[in-house]
Amino acid sequence: MKIRTRLTLWYAAILIVSLAAIGAESFNEIAEALQPSHRHHLWEHAFHETGEIILWVGLPAIILGALGGWWLTRKALAPVTALTEAVEKIHERNLSEQLPRTRNGDELDRLTEVFNAMTARLDGSFQRIREFTLHASHELKTPLTVMRGELEMALHEEKLRPAQIERLLSQIDEIERLAKIVDALSLLTRADAGQIPLNFETVRLDDLVRESFADTKILAQSHSLHVNLAACEEVSISGDRHRLRQLLLNLSDNAVKYNRPDGAITVSLHRNDGLAELKIANTGAGIAAELQPRVFERFFRGDPSHNNTIEGCGLGLSIAQWIALAHQGSIQFASEPDKLTVVTVRFPAIGAVP
Amino acid sequence: MRVLVVEDESKTASFIRKALQAEGFAVDVCHRGDEALAAAAHSSFDGIVLDIMLPGRDGLSVLKQLRSQKIHTPVLLLSARGAVNERVEGLNAGADDYLPKPFVIAELVARVRALGRRGGESKSTLLQVADLTLDTISHRAQRGGKTFDLTAREFRLLEFLMRSAGRICGRMSIIEKVWDYDFDPGTNLVDVYVRRLREKIDEGFESKLLHTVRGAGYVLRE
Repeated sequence: MKIRTRLTLWYAAILIVSLAAIGAESFNEIAEALQPSHRHHLWEHAFHETGEIILWVGLPAIILGALGGWWLTRKALAPVTALTEAVEKIHERNLSEQLPRTRNGDELDRLTEVFNAMTARLDGSFQRIREFTLHASHELKTPLTVMRGELEMALHEEKLRPAQIERLLSQIDEIERLAKIVDALSLLTRADAGQIPLNFETVRLDDLVRESFADTKILAQSHSLHVNLAACEEVSISGDRHRLRQLLLNLSDNAVKYNRPDGAITVSLHRNDGLAELKIANTGAGIAAELQPRVFERFFRGDPSHNNTIEGCGLGLSIAQWIALAHQGSIQFASEPDKLTVVTVRFPAIGAVP
Repeated sequence: MRVLVVEDESKTASFIRKALQAEGFAVDVCHRGDEALAAAAHSSFDGIVLDIMLPGRDGLSVLKQLRSQKIHTPVLLLSARGAVNERVEGLNAGADDYLPKPFVIAELVARVRALGRRGGESKSTLLQVADLTLDTISHRAQRGGKTFDLTAREFRLLEFLMRSAGRICGRMSIIEKVWDYDFDPGTNLVDVYVRRLREKIDEGFESKLLHTVRGAGYVLRE
């Protein structure tokens, strides 16, 4: 029950009780004021008088009072409703925006002030976390470059035993792996901080899909997968060519890596209802239903018992999601374990195809 | 050959210097953009390795200033990966080559050496390495009287490797220049393509041309 209704009901109840009290009091008064000669009419008369008062004065007063009370609570609570609506719109990305204050110094204004201070503190914390990751990934790059360089130089030293060379090479491989993770992380943190400008232009998505499909076919060959381009309708979207290619490659790479031997990949691009709809379906172990909501989380890698041998850092889908959202698109992941996993990406299509 | 290395991170600068010196280059090192500008204006170098992120003055502005002062020393830009805009801007501002960070040091040395040969680089349409030829107009590759069919991507890969014949090409450079990806795709795309290309141009021939340099990348040479 809303506070407004509750308060109005309480108010009405109080009014009724007071009316009863008034009625009882006026009944007594009237009874006493009557002449003794009229005593035999006393009860009847007093009852009648009181009834009249209650009916013609009391009831309208209660109705008016209740209506007034309802209106008052409504007015008093309006700022709370407004505050609720404003707070509803707050999320991680607009914490820096402040709620408008009335500045009239009342309790609600004070509440708004405290609330604003709280979101500002939260915003500060978020900001610090973002900056920390941003700096961390940047700071990690240089030592990695240095380590890689030093190892490579060591490799050129004379009189190395084959075992030493092997060790150096394996270290270089690990550094490369680390560099890839740092790279992907730095991309995501810069994206979070809005530091990655996208160059929007009109892009023929079907061209990009065909191009990435050619790469997918090549990648799939060594896993003996059947790759199939089921549809590739002409459709243009407004987008950043590099990022879109990155998205396509990330998704097709996953479709290859998390497939089963002799499995299949089906890619399709359709244009419908003003949307460009890309679907990449692959066979393979897939992801259990309860874990599916987490696939876009950073460093999420599914069931560890299935794919700890697969190279990857668990940032591919996060990057794909960022790219889709940055293009006003959407991305969905649906998987039926051991059968089919489908990733669907939708972008707003532009105009008629020339 | 005398080279100016402009890199603010002293350890990176130091191993670049060591690597270049080991190959017989004379190396000067600057850590700041404004110092680099002064150094390049006062003495003549055969090449400059220029980092984009620099204190004092950033690499791009150093480059523009040099070119506006009619100093045409060849410049190799070191760019952060993913910064396509910087790279395009760099080439427009007159950089001769670029290398994404983190780079393979052997590749950097090879590129610096190539800087000295700039201008003489062949833009010819018929490329040749040993008995392998590539016609860049008809996209036809031939070796020992055998003609190969190449897909568009294989052609671009082979062209890139042949134009850098004898020089190590890191995976990231190949990804950037053949695929035009400014990100690490995290796949073994390059290796798969090189394997396919190798099957075509090396299989059945006595001498192999396409070599893997472990820990670095690939090189096409006799």
